[in-house]
Amino acid sequence: MTATEPMKTATNRSRPLVEMRNIRVSFGGVHAVDDVSVDLHAGEVVGLVGGNGAGKSTLIRALSGAHPPDEGEIYIDGEKVSISSPQDARNLGIETIYQTLALADNVDAAANLFLGRELTTRLGSLDDDAMESATREVMGRLNPKFKNFKVPVASLSGGQRQSVAIARAVHFNARILIMDEPTAALGPAETEQVRDLVSQLKAQGIGIFLISHDIHDVFDLADRISVMHTGDLVGTVDKDKVTKDEVLAMIIIGKPPEQVSEKEMAQIIH
Amino acid sequence: MSIRRTTAALAVMAIILAACGPSGGGDGSGAAGDCHVGMAWATFQEERYGLRDLPGLEAALEAGGATLTDNDAANSAETQASNVEALLDAGIDVLILNSAEPESSLQSVEAAVDAGIPIIAYDRELESADALFMTHDNVGVGRMIAEAVTEAQPTGNYAIIKGQEGQTNPLFLRQGFEEVLAPLIEAGDITIPEGAEVYTDEWLPDNAQDNMETILTANDNDIQAVLAQNDGMAGGVIAALAAQGLDGEVAVGGQDGDKAAINRVALGTQVVSVLKDATELGMAAGEAALQLCENPDISAVEGAVESTTVGGIEGYAVLLDPLPITRDNLQAALDLDWLTEEELCADVPSGTVDECP
Amino acid sequence: MTTQAEPIEAPLASEPRGEPVRTSLLSTLGVDVRLVGMVVALAVLWIAFNFLSDGRFLTPRNLWNLSVQSSAVAVMTTGMVLIIVSRNIDLSIGSILGFTAMIVGLLQAEWIPDILGLPLNAPGTWIVVVVLGICVGALIGGLHGFVIAFIGVPSFVVTLGGLLIWRGAAFALASGRTIAPLDPTYQLLGGGPQGALGATLSWVVAGIAIVAFAIGLVLNRRRRRRYGFPVRPVWADVTIGIIGSLLVAVAVWIANAYPWPPNLAEEYAIENGIPIPPGGLIIPTGIAYPVLIAIGIAVLMTFIAKRRRFGRYVYSIGGNPEAAVLAGINTRRTIMKTFILMGALSSIAAVIITARLNASTLALGTGAELQVIAAAVIGGTSLAGGIGTIAGGVLGAVIMQSLSTGMTLIGVDNAQQDMVAGVVLIVAVGFDSWLRRRRV
Repeated sequence: MTATEPMKTATNRSRPLVEMRNIRVSFGGVHAVDDVSVDLHAGEVVGLVGGNGAGKSTLIRALSGAHPPDEGEIYIDGEKVSISSPQDARNLGIETIYQTLALADNVDAAANLFLGRELTTRLGSLDDDAMESATREVMGRLNPKFKNFKVPVASLSGGQRQSVAIARAVHFNARILIMDEPTAALGPAETEQVRDLVSQLKAQGIGIFLISHDIHDVFDLADRISVMHTGDLVGTVDKDKVTKDEVLAMIIIGKPPEQVSEKEMAQIIH
Repeated sequence: MSIRRTTAALAVMAIILAACGPSGGGDGSGAAGDCHVGMAWATFQEERYGLRDLPGLEAALEAGGATLTDNDAANSAETQASNVEALLDAGIDVLILNSAEPESSLQSVEAAVDAGIPIIAYDRELESADALFMTHDNVGVGRMIAEAVTEAQPTGNYAIIKGQEGQTNPLFLRQGFEEVLAPLIEAGDITIPEGAEVYTDEWLPDNAQDNMETILTANDNDIQAVLAQNDGMAGGVIAALAAQGLDGEVAVGGQDGDKAAINRVALGTQVVSVLKDATELGMAAGEAALQLCENPDISAVEGAVESTTVGGIEGYAVLLDPLPITRDNLQAALDLDWLTEEELCADVPSGTVDECP
Repeated sequence: MTTQAEPIEAPLASEPRGEPVRTSLLSTLGVDVRLVGMVVALAVLWIAFNFLSDGRFLTPRNLWNLSVQSSAVAVMTTGMVLIIVSRNIDLSIGSILGFTAMIVGLLQAEWIPDILGLPLNAPGTWIVVVVLGICVGALIGGLHGFVIAFIGVPSFVVTLGGLLIWRGAAFALASGRTIAPLDPTYQLLGGGPQGALGATLSWVVAGIAIVAFAIGLVLNRRRRRRYGFPVRPVWADVTIGIIGSLLVAVAVWIANAYPWPPNLAEEYAIENGIPIPPGGLIIPTGIAYPVLIAIGIAVLMTFIAKRRRFGRYVYSIGGNPEAAVLAGINTRRTIMKTFILMGALSSIAAVIITARLNASTLALGTGAELQVIAAAVIGGTSLAGGIGTIAGGVLGAVIMQSLSTGMTLIGVDNAQQDMVAGVVLIVAVGFDSWLRRRRV
């Protein structure tokens, strides 16, 4: 984490919160992410879309420390950083809600919320009551109906589990939030809740990467949309300047809108 | 598997080289009665083989002017089969086989018979009339334990601590116990209370200790003697007795000649430990091999008696007498260099036995 | 404490909808249903054995013996629970036990006397012996743990190798000799009438346990109230306190009801010049040291499992290894630590067994891995990982030993004992999976 750019504060407004430059991740000989650059500003939601195997999750795992990139640089507030573990990412204020939720099913909500960052008493023992208290507080905001604080999360509903995963990201004052398919397992009411939450967090100045296969979700929530196709970045577009069909075309054909022929476009819309 | 094969192959090569070496150079100088003995060991993992069996065998053969070629199968039947083959190829006159697995050894026996070579089954019985079985008399061991204990404690309640269920040795030993106990039980002198005869998982001393504690509980300590089938378990039994303050009062017998057990005999907490001197067995096998070089008829070997195998085959066996060590003959153990005086006399108050001044 | 002082009691009782309202006694008391089930099963077993043995099973003497006989396996089971919870297995514990048994035996009977010229029962040697023994066990466990966690060889393979290696090494140490006798002070660690607390100290221990339990309940209640959490009704806490205290008191009362064997009492009386009253001198035995050690370790291990980060990590690794890694937990170090603990606990078991036997013999610990795994599994530890409690494992060990002692007492053959133990194992696990399926 060496500061390569000393003029950090002066350039704060114009400089993106996160810049990922020329990221490349390979599995074996295959480039899962090939020379991709994206950025994210404070208080902004950037939707990351693409078909299966487009490389969205891999790109995001490079930022969350789950799978460090083979090549490329990451800048936070203009400072070059090295993220080689989930711990590094957390220390930089990056929180992630994984598609799999990454919950330990056999322990309760509080234990999951504080997993890896447990609160302890002065003697170094776990302070379960303090953790439960904090969990009740944050869950009270996110999902007031949540009551099952003492049971393993395995016995919770999909929506409740999701809210535990979200609470974990929210509680630690993230500046950068990665949400990988946050509504995939949810019913309509719960999806609505997540949407409200995203708007709230955005208003608080948090930068959010939102990965989703649901184009409507992305259009409703995102300010800009980055489209990936077979490991490449097709392009990043302002939501207001494109139509859903155009984004769909980018996803399927893997070309920016201006390069898509009318015939191809017609096929998409059928 | 492949490693094992390689080891076996290497062993075979080594044997061939070793066997060819002396016979190539020394054939002419050999005496008229030159006798070449092959010995296939099952294992050298236990102390006794290198320390007692082999030196005994070597001593006897050396005295008779015979040469010895031996190899170790590391408990693998497969390795042993090729080891025996190598010995036969090396031109031995007598095969001594300490079988790694009696069942698969029968092929080796057949090969030796085909080559006209007499066979000694060393310490492990083979289901074949062609092999002379040489071992210590296990039934005799059982008999000796029971004799020594009944002599010390001719009446009362007896507990019997047997080894692992399903093995043959506990049965032999039990048979020896029975020969001594049966008349005394019939006369009403000795009783084995219900539940006081138990097998012991894995022959483990701590399991024997648990079982003895339970037997004492079940009988309100009314047990006067214990026949244990080895010294380790006898140690467990004595620990259980000690917790009731009964050590030294209850007569306990075992076998193996464990140093700790012979020490207990000196201390008076164990009546007898029957030891089977492996040096003696090695020597006896060497002497038998010398005789077989002269005359390959196994029935003509000194001490050979007709016997029946567990599988019911009529054959011949040489059964050596084990040596019971009691307080009266502790010197015998010292004479065998079985243990040192210091080991024998650890914690023994001076003057209680002659051997510990 | 009046009811009005508990404002937040209501929400717990009136769960809005979704799950049906639970009003069963056990859930109100907040105790582990499975654990209670095991205690009931154990009670049934004991009563059945008592009936079949004409009242010999439920005697202070037999129960006292049973407690000592269970302690070594119980000690190891506390470690095995954590190993299995973290989705690993340790097959090497019997061999580590055998190896460290030879080490502690040789240390006190030969090495220390030969090198330092001290006699076998020199004061304090037993402490050195025990500490070194535990270090050796921890080191071996650490070695296994390192290979498993950092090199990535499956624990089944590493510890299967360890099973062979350390049994062989135990043989190599003393060429299969039996090391005996051992230091008389050391022997006390294995129990026996002298190796026990006696009446007064046993009651002191009981008192401390009861007071600590009560304080724990009160503090817990107070803390939850301060945070404004729902709390159990007062009567529930009081009931739990009374039941817990009664269990402790009854256990100590039984241990004290087992008097020294007359021979030993008489010897003791003569040595200390105490006149022997008519009917014999009655010296209560009290809690045996190995039992005290086992209970202490069980409490400590429960604390580690429930109240330390390490324990929390072990459980979360078992629940979802990927989540644990993503949460930034150093899973490798955690796994390695579980094996270090297991090695240390195996050597403590070695101390108990050798001290009790007054000998170190080659074969000690043979098959212990299976007994311990069985105890953990009967105690509710799931081989799939993530689930299991220390208390359950200890109860499992007691159940196994009760089966063995009880069947020996009523004269059941060894082979049949093994069969029964196998059936119990399968039934316990079957019942468990049924219970879990029903709940989910």
